[in-house]
Formats: sequence, C-alpha cells, structure tokens
Amino acid sequence: MKIYGLELLRGLSITMTRFIVSYTAGFKRTFSNRLRGQFRQDPLGKGIFTVQYPEEKLKAPERFRVLPVLIFDGREGDKWSQETERCTACGICAKVCPPQCIWIVQAKDASGKAVPKASEFTIDTDVCMNCGLCVEFCPFDAIKMDHSFEISTYERKESHIYDIDKLHVSTEYHAKIHPKAWAKEEAKKKADAEKKAAAAAAAALKKPAETKSNE
Amino acid sequence: MAADKIRLNPTEEELLEEEIQKHLFITPLDKLVDYLYNWGRKNSIWPLQFGLACCAIEMICTAASRYDIARFGAELFRASPRQADLMIVSGTVTKKMVPMIVRLYDQMPEPKYVISMGACATSGGPFKEGYNVVSGIDKFLPVDVYITGCPPTPQALLHALITLQDKISRQSVKTVRWYGKKRDAEIPVPLLGPDLIDVRRTDEIKEICARPAEPQPALPAIVPAFKITPSVPDGAAQAAVELSQRINEMVGAGTAVPAGETLVIQPSSIAKVGRYLKQQSGLELDYLSNLTCTDYQDCYEVVYHLYSTKKPGPAVCLKARVPKGDPRVPSLTPVWPGADFQEREVWDLYGVRFEGHPSLKRILLWEGFEGHPMRKDYLEAYYETSGKLFPSRWKEGRHQRAEERVPFADNVKYPAGFNPEGYREKEEIFKPVTSKSLDRLKTDTLVVNLGPQHPSTHGVFRMRIVLDGERIAALEPVMGYMHRNHEKIGERNTYIMNFPYTDRLDYICSMGNNLGYAITVEKMLGVKPPERAEYIRVIMAELTRVVNHFWAIGFLLNDLGAFFTPALYAIEERELILDLFEMASGSRMMCNYMRFGGVTEDLPEEFMPMAKTLVNDRLPKAIDGLDRYLTNNEILSGRCKGVGILPREAAVAFSAAGPVLRASGVSYDVRKAEPYSIYDRFDFHVPTFREGDVYARYKVRIAEMWESLKILKKALKEIPGGEAEPAKKLWNIRVPAGEAYGRVENPKGELGYYIVSDGTDHPYRYHVRAPSFINLTPLELMCKGQLVADVVAILGSIDIVLGETDR
Repeated sequence: MKIYGLELLRGLSITMTRFIVSYTAGFKRTFSNRLRGQFRQDPLGKGIFTVQYPEEKLKAPERFRVLPVLIFDGREGDKWSQETERCTACGICAKVCPPQCIWIVQAKDASGKAVPKASEFTIDTDVCMNCGLCVEFCPFDAIKMDHSFEISTYERKESHIYDIDKLHVSTEYHAKIHPKAWAKEEAKKKADAEKKAAAAAAAALKKPAETKSNE
Repeated sequence: MAADKIRLNPTEEELLEEEIQKHLFITPLDKLVDYLYNWGRKNSIWPLQFGLACCAIEMICTAASRYDIARFGAELFRASPRQADLMIVSGTVTKKMVPMIVRLYDQMPEPKYVISMGACATSGGPFKEGYNVVSGIDKFLPVDVYITGCPPTPQALLHALITLQDKISRQSVKTVRWYGKKRDAEIPVPLLGPDLIDVRRTDEIKEICARPAEPQPALPAIVPAFKITPSVPDGAAQAAVELSQRINEMVGAGTAVPAGETLVIQPSSIAKVGRYLKQQSGLELDYLSNLTCTDYQDCYEVVYHLYSTKKPGPAVCLKARVPKGDPRVPSLTPVWPGADFQEREVWDLYGVRFEGHPSLKRILLWEGFEGHPMRKDYLEAYYETSGKLFPSRWKEGRHQRAEERVPFADNVKYPAGFNPEGYREKEEIFKPVTSKSLDRLKTDTLVVNLGPQHPSTHGVFRMRIVLDGERIAALEPVMGYMHRNHEKIGERNTYIMNFPYTDRLDYICSMGNNLGYAITVEKMLGVKPPERAEYIRVIMAELTRVVNHFWAIGFLLNDLGAFFTPALYAIEERELILDLFEMASGSRMMCNYMRFGGVTEDLPEEFMPMAKTLVNDRLPKAIDGLDRYLTNNEILSGRCKGVGILPREAAVAFSAAGPVLRASGVSYDVRKAEPYSIYDRFDFHVPTFREGDVYARYKVRIAEMWESLKILKKALKEIPGGEAEPAKKLWNIRVPAGEAYGRVENPKGELGYYIVSDGTDHPYRYHVRAPSFINLTPLELMCKGQLVADVVAILGSIDIVLGETDR
C-alpha cells in the first residue's frame, strides 16, 4: 500500500531542521569571539544566512567594482588640484569604454597650449556598465573602481553626471579600499624609480668619462 | 463673514492655516496622523512581481535568504498590478515592452511608487544607443528613486528601498496627490508604429517629420564579400574542395564553389544541397547549428553551419550569396525545422526572404517597424560613428546626452512625412487553429496570452496559447521584448569592448559567455592562453554550470508550484559561488573576466581555499540534498514524468541543444564533440536520458552538476602556477581579416559566436548563436496536447534566459 503525503512531510522536515539550526548556530555566532562581526557566511557555516543590511554589511572583496573614480596624490579630505591629479588626459579610458560614458577635455596652459592634464572629466553614471575596462587599461593608475554602492537618488538629471570634482578621491582612500593592489602599485613604482635611478647613475658615470675622453 | 472666508485667496488661506496651527492643538495630532499613515505604508510596500532583464536576477536575490527583503515588509511580490504599491523597473526597457509597462503602471492603484533599478531602466544604460531601447523609463513613468549600477547589487537595491521609505515618511496625508480633487490622468499607452510613438507628442512628431530631412551622417564602410580564392589544398580547405566536387556531381554542376574552408552554394539549390548533405552524403549532417546573414557591398550572404550529432568533427559551412535588390533564398525548414526561428530572425534583421517558410514574419521587432536594422545602411537615431571611440568623447569631450543632439530629443526616428495622428498599429499575424472536436461541440477555442509580464515565463517572454478546453491546441512563442541590439552594438564595439556585453547575454552564466567569445577571437588571432589561465577558465566555466543548474532546478520547482522554498535553498548555494566570482573578477554577475590569451587578473589568494571547501565539502552535500529530496518526490515525478516529450529525432532536427538535447537520448556535448580549452584532459560523462520529458531534463541537470564537480575537483587539484594574464594586453587589438565560428557547451546548450573580421579593430559581423533562443523552436511540439498548467513546467525545463533569447 502506498502512503501518500510522506514526501510532503519529508519536505517540511527540511524547513524545520533549518529553523532549529538557525537557533543553535545563532547562539554560537552570538557568543563566539571568532564569528562575531563576520557577516559573510563561511562556506561551511550553518544557521541564518541573512545579512542584516543596513546594520550589517557584507565586506566587499578588494576587486569589487561599482563606479569609477579618479585618483589624486593626497590624503582624505584634501582637495584635488592639477598638480596632484594623476590623469594625463591620454584618453585611453574613453577609448576603451564600451558604452562610451567618459568625456574628457584636455587642459590648456595660459598660452593655449595643450598640457597633459584633464580640465574636465565627466562620467555619465546612467550609461556606465561598471565593467572596469577603464581601470584595466589606464597606464597611470589614475582611475579606479569605487566600492560605494549606496548611491540611490530622487533625481537623475543633475546628480547622475559625475564631474571632475565629484570623481576625484585621494590615494589614501584608494589604498584603504584596495590594499593589495595599492601595495603592488607602490612596489612597481619603487622598482621603476630604482631602475630609472640606476640608469641615470650609469649614464652619469658614463658621461664624465665621455667628456674626459673628448678633452 | 462666511462668504468672505470662501473668497480668500490661497496665500491668505495658507496664512490663516499657519495662524490656526500656531494656536491650536492641531499640529501634533496632524503629525501623529501623518506619522501613523506613513509608518503603515512604508513598512508594507508590496512590489509588483515584474522583472525585465539582468537586474531582475539581483532583485530575486534581494528577495532570497541572504538579503531578505522581508525584513522591510516588502517580500510580498504581487503578480497582479491591482495589489501592488511599487514597481521596480529592473532592467532594460525596450520599445516593444514599454506599452506593457505603461499599462501595468496604469493598472496599479494609488499610492504607487516606481524604483528605476540599474543604468538601463534609468537612461538606457549601456544599451542606450540601440534601436529598440527606450532612453529611461522616466520618459513615461514618474520615478521616485533611481539606483544606478549595472546591475546594482542586492544591498544597493535595499538601499534604494530605504531611500524610498524615507521619501514616504516625509509625505503628508494632506498633500498627497491621491486624495486631492485633481487626480493624475492615466498615462497613455505608447504605440508601436514605424518606431515607438509617444502619443502625448503626436503634434511634435508630425511637425518634425514635415521638416526637410537633415543630412544623414556618413554610412559605415561596407566591404565586398570575400573573394572566392582558389583554395590551397590543406586540411579543412582540402575537405571543402572535395565536398564541393561531390556536391557538384550529385546535385548539379556549378552548385558549389569552395571558398577557403567554406562552400558557396547557388542560392536556388540550397535546399537540395541541404537534403543531400543530411541524407545521402554519408556525412550525416543532421544538426543545423547556426544560421545567420552578413551584409556585404555586393550581396547578402546567408551562412549555415552544419554538424553531425553522430560523427564528431568540425563544422561544414555553407553560404548562399543573394543579390541586394530583392534578396530571396529557399527556406531550409523542410530539411531542418530548427531553421524556423533563425530564418525569421534573418528576415527581421536583414530583410532576406525565405521562400517556403511556413510563417515568415518579424520575430524580434514588431510588424510595422521601419527598416531592417542589422543592414549596414540602417543608422539608429543616436548613431554617431561606425566605430568607437566616438570623437565627441575625447580631447574636447564636453558632456552631452544623446537626446540633446537628435531632432526628436529621444531614441526614435520616423520616415519623412510620417503623421502619427490616428495611426493604427499593425495587427499581429497568427496561424488560425481549427479542431474537429470543437465543431462537434459547437464551441470555440480560447486564446490566452501568457506573458510578456507573467511570473513563470522566466523574463519578458510571451506565449500565445490557443486552448481547446484545458489542452493546448497551438502555441506560438512571441519574443523580442528584451531585444537590446547586442549584435548591432557589437559591430560598433572594438573586440575588447564586447566582453562586458557578452556578460549580459545569458546573465546567469556570464563566465561561460566570456569563454565562448574569447575562444572564437583567439581562433582568429592564433593566440593560446597560458596553462594556468586555461585551468582558471575551466574552473569558472564549470562553476557557472553548477550555478546555472541550481538556478534552473530551483525555478523549475517554482514553476511547479513549490513557490520559492526550493529556489531559496538553490539561491543560497549560488550566492556562495557568486562570492567566488566577485572575489576573482569584481562583480557577482557581470564578470567580464576573460581576455584574449588569458584572464584579466590572476586569482586572489583567498580564492583557492574557499573554492576547495565549496567544491569538496559543501556543494556535494547541497546537490545530494536536492537529489535526495526531489528526484524521488512523488509530486515532482507526478508533474514531470511523461510531460513535454521531445522525441529524439525531433530534438536533433529542431537544433535543440544542451540538457534539452541530452534528455532526448542524444549524447552530444561540445566539450566532447569538438573539445575546446583543455577539456580533453578531463574525464567526465555526458549524462544522457532517453525519455525526453521534463523529468529527464531535470535529471540531466542533476547528473551534469555531479560531472562538473568531478572536473572541478581535478582542476582545483592540478592547477599549475605561472602567469594567467595574456602576454600582451592591448585595448585596441586588431584581428586579421577572415571569419570564425566558435562554440562552447554553455549550461543552457551550445553557445556559438560567428565573427567576420575585415582587419580593423571592430568586428564586421558579430553574431551569437543563442541556445535559449533556438531551444524554443520545438516548444510548440512539446506543448501540443498538454494541459495548460504543464506549459509552465515545460518552459521551466527548457531553462531560458531572455537576455540570450532576444539578445
């Protein structure tokens, strides 16, 4: 004889088990120092899976990308200036941007000659697809992907067009959200500088020798 | 006195009210009422169960256990607009879909709110330049909260919800629009004419159309079709020469001319050649994988890629070159019924007529649309130049919205002299259905439209069902509601720009899409990724398969009526795998991780430990859980066994692919038939079942997950060190002239890319063979005679994603 409904009970038992485990595991999570404050659930973790946003927030992995930001050399709270900005208006980010959401105006000096700085840099965040190609191909580490995703607005016509002032963040901020990438960039910079110094030193050594021989 | 009071002008009235409020006890009471009124509303926002594109997947995840929108009192997703307060416009709004969205909004009772989720809904986003995309839902509906991102993460959507709650809490019962005397009028539903017609702008459109036409921008360069060169007898080219000789002998002299590795066939004898190759040639080319078209200077070239499911090997590629004046070619549907939708697509986008096709009509656009948009001389309203970079962006790049530089200030264009006044939409054409049983009963059939807004159609897909009682007499899939012009945009993009767009094809399996595209272009470039990158690719592709099948099974159960519980458990596992993707690539869904000759960046250190724990410890338990609780479940087997049968022969003939094909007893898997990447090094089965019903398709998916885990375990153990990034990273890579068809076994079936290069930095032709699209061709066959309730299950078992179906 076939008994109907057993499968139904079996299904309900899954939910029941989960319900009970959410308490047993939950107690552990509340009272364990190791697990406290850890909102991204461990792959073998049990119990409640929910992240209580906005009180808790998932820790974003370093490579997480939302919108691009421009980098200037400085500390948080500083204001960017043409001296500290890293962008050289080379335009590679605009050239590689798939939906073409980057607009750049190259700066000009007093005599009207173009200089390798951006005077205007605009990103239409309504078109940006958060793909990160601009960051990947920027030769100057001048554009990076931000982690800030809490950007809901009531209006879009004005506030969704990010201009150069809104886009600029400090190297300090960049180092804070991308510690590993920052360390890598700095190491590379240092190595490059050393190489350059060594080359310069070698050239300097060579030069006096040459001048002597000329004499 | 009383009369005086009435005659007070508004400013005085306001002054008086202020005065009263100062002196009386009204203020706190007022505030209390507002507070209670807003408190109640903001904590019980019921969203409409309505999703458009990729963002809808993130919306579903927001409702699932990790983010749990129920904590905000907003978990009651209502399928009926009459019960909903909030419309989350989640994804690309296309012109074909916007009349339905406006209608739904009009049907929602006040108070109602709109959240515009993601870049597409807000302004058209990355697809803005497309010919079928509306530049933002706020062109039609009043939007309360915008959340930008592509797609916004679930947390970002929750933030938008909190922002909306904040807005609600600042409203006052005295000033809200729905209690005032002057109610807002309904928003008129836009019409689908030669282009989208906003009926509120009729006069304006008429006036602009009457003006003399503005000079057209320069047309993109159109190259002549590749010359038929005397082929060099080597490898594949040699095979083509031999095959052409055989065809000329058997079908008629001069029918086939070899051109490199392909054959150029006389258009009039294409059906004869097809029949010969399928039945008599001994090659058993029973599988029409891909059918598409390319626009050349001197002809339209219809391209066919044929395979055999019995003999693994490379494709036989046929081409029919038809003149530009009146392009016609015989239909191949009598030989391969799987050509049906693909031929309709070519007709829709290129205007090539297929003679003898049973119902040749538009498939992605609508009847009445002006022009065939994939033709090179079709320029969209926002057209700037034929290739990116757009010159307006750099050096003197001052921001200007695309709307600001076009005559209609919107993404529309009409023929000269067009008058929208009294315009009547062209009627859709459907096959008439007759049934003998109905004559006897003196009754009639009933036409039911399932979709495009229906919770079980897995997106904006529509089925026009003709019912004879409870049984299906006829079914016709109607699609294109998410046609966002992937191919047209892809031909303007440089090669590298197409990567992030491929993510948005089948947005559940973006890693797999990346892989297919990378492999195809690598074929043309002749580059090979380093060993480590190959392993990373396989790991990612197989994790994607697991993700997809969890999702598919979860939602199949949803379709069967086990509303959301199994899906919740499935999404939980998916979330953990998405963490891996996010770690490696930076995004949960839109990974954009692969490059020509490698991957973007090597795996982060925390990837391997977590991947190993998941693959070795967690996922086997989770799959086993699904297997144990579901496979023998009486309800599941009762609903799925013997339902939606697709016989073996039909599956092959209709070009079904992936789990759908394998559930019908055809052991065909691209990973085995034409191994790509390093799949030949892994030992795995191709799970095949003979029944061909919904249950078999479910079982194939479970079995495939086990096989994927097997591959993953081995790959994670053996992955070598070394470089994973391409040796040379170029943003403007040029691809040598030529063409390639590359395909991978994506979780949904064979995903193919057909690319023609003219030697520049953007593809001349870029076509995607979408498994979700072609797998729908046998849908009517599967559903005919079944109960209407089972149609939903059958569709769920095919497992479609609309981003890929409509592209």
